[in-house]
Amino acid sequence: MLCDKCKKNEATVHIKEFHNGKCKDFHLCNECASAGETDQTLPGIGFNLAEVLFNVNKIAEKINPGKSESPAETQVCPVCSWTAEKIRKNDGKVGCPACYQTFDKLIKQAISQVQRGSLHLGKRPRGAKGDSPAVKRSELESLKKELQNLIAREEYEAAAICRDRINLLKAELDLLEAEK
Amino acid sequence: MKCTSVDQLLKNPVSFLDDSGPDDDIAISSRIRLARNINKYPFPSAASPEIMQEICENVSRAAESAAALGGKDVLVFYPSEMSPLDRQILLERRLASKEFIRTPESRRLFVCPDEGCSLMINEEDQLRIQTIRPGFQLREVWKSINRIDDDLSSNLQYAFDEQLGYLTSCPTNVGTGMRASVMLHLPGLVLTGQIAPTIQGISKLHLAVRGIFGEGSDNCGNLYQISNQNTLGESELKIIDELDSVIRQLIQQEKNARRSLLENDRYNILDHVGRSYGLLRHSYKLGFEEAMQSLSGLRIGVDMGLFNSIDIHKVNELFIGIGPAHLQKNASGVLTDTEVDIMRATLCREKLRPMA
Repeated sequence: MLCDKCKKNEATVHIKEFHNGKCKDFHLCNECASAGETDQTLPGIGFNLAEVLFNVNKIAEKINPGKSESPAETQVCPVCSWTAEKIRKNDGKVGCPACYQTFDKLIKQAISQVQRGSLHLGKRPRGAKGDSPAVKRSELESLKKELQNLIAREEYEAAAICRDRINLLKAELDLLEAEK
Repeated sequence: MKCTSVDQLLKNPVSFLDDSGPDDDIAISSRIRLARNINKYPFPSAASPEIMQEICENVSRAAESAAALGGKDVLVFYPSEMSPLDRQILLERRLASKEFIRTPESRRLFVCPDEGCSLMINEEDQLRIQTIRPGFQLREVWKSINRIDDDLSSNLQYAFDEQLGYLTSCPTNVGTGMRASVMLHLPGLVLTGQIAPTIQGISKLHLAVRGIFGEGSDNCGNLYQISNQNTLGESELKIIDELDSVIRQLIQQEKNARRSLLENDRYNILDHVGRSYGLLRHSYKLGFEEAMQSLSGLRIGVDMGLFNSIDIHKVNELFIGIGPAHLQKNASGVLTDTEVDIMRATLCREKLRPMA
C-alpha cells in the first residue's frame, strides 16, 4: 500500500481514528509520519490546539474551499465583538462564551483535531439540566442490551454510537458515585 | 476584605512539601487545576477593567462563602497592591502563575490557610482553582478540588455547554477544564540516560512534560511535571486514572534506575551525591540552577539512605527557600544577583550544618 500523503513510498504507519463512532484510516510512510509528527499535522498525535486555531485562515479555507474570504472570517461575535482575526492574534483564545456559538464551525473543526473526543463526558455544574442517577442507570442497562443486539446484527456504526452513549452514562454515574 | 501580607505565608511550612504523601521519595506533589468562567461575562482577555473588577467582586463573594476553600479563614491577596517581590513569593510557592503576577491589575488571589488550595481570579480564565498535596495522590486531590468547585458553582452561574462542557478562554481547556499533574523527581532516569526516550514516550500518550513552574519553564533539579493534555471526550476520573497508571510506571522505572545505579555504578552515584552535598555545604556563592541541581543530588542520597544525619524536610524546605524572592524577603530588601547568590550559599551552609 502506498503512502496517502506522498503516494510514493510504501505505507508503514497505519492510524485508525475513531470520533463519535466514525472511523477514519490513515496510511503513511515513515518519512511523512515523522514529518507530520513534527509539524503537528497528523491526526491524533500530540497537537497544540492554540497553534491550529492560530492558523484559523487555513481551516476556514478548508471548510469553504475556493472562497477567498469565508463567512467565519467576516463574522463578528455579537457579545464581545471579536472576529476570527482577533482570535488568531490572541493565540487562538476566544473572547467570551458566546464565541463558541459564533465561530462554532471553526472552533469545532479545530477541536476535532486536537482533543480526543468531541463530547463532554465529565462533571456538570450544580443545577445544570440532567437526569437523576436512577434514570441514568436504567438507560444504561437498556443500552447495554441494545449494544449486544447491534453487534449480533453486525451494525457496527450504530453500535459505536451506542457504545459512546454507554461510556457517557458510565462516566456520569462514576462521578456521582465518587462524590458520595 | 484586607489584603493578606505574604509574611503570613512565610511562617507556614509549605504543605505540599511536607513529605507525608504516598511515594513521596519520587512523586513530590500532586496538583489539579480547573478552569471556570461565569456565563454572562467575557473572558478576561476581552474584558474591560470595569468588567474585570465586577468579576473580582462576584467571584470573591462566592469564594468567601466556599467552606471547602477555608470559609472565613481564607487568605486574600490583591496583587496590584503588592510589591513585585511579594508577588514573586506567590509564584515561588506555586500559588499563582507567571502570567498572573506579570500584570497584576484587576486580579485577586484566594488561598486556603494551609496553602493546599488556591483560586486565581482573572488569569487566562475568570477562575483558576488549584489544589495541591504532597506525594502521589491524584484521586484525593480531585475529591478536594471537586468540593471547592461545587461550593463555588452554587453561587456562580458557570459558562457550560451540553456538548463542549465548561467553556474556557482557550479551546485547549474546554470540556473538563482540568489539568492534573504530578511533579516527579527523576534523577535516576537522568543519570542512566533514560530520560529523553521516556519523555518522548510520554508525549505519545497525550500527556505533557513540563518544568517545575509550569508552561514554558525548563526542567530544573531533575524535577518534571507530567500532566494530561486533552480535556474533552473523557471524564475527569478517566483522565486521572490514565495519568495515574503512567505515573505508577514512571515511579517504578525510576526505582529500577536507582537500584541499577547502586548495583552497577555505585561509585558514580556516591560521587554525585557527595559532590552535591559538598557544594551545598561549602559554597559561598550559589546560582539558582546549581543549587537546584545539588539539592536534587542530595535528595537522592537521602532517599537512598546514604545520609542518616540529614532530615528530608530540611532538603524540601530548601527547594522553596533558595528561590530569589524568598531569599530577598528573608534579607528584608531587594538584592543584586550576586548578593542573592551569596545569601543562597549562606542559607544552604547553615541549614545543612551537621548538628552537634
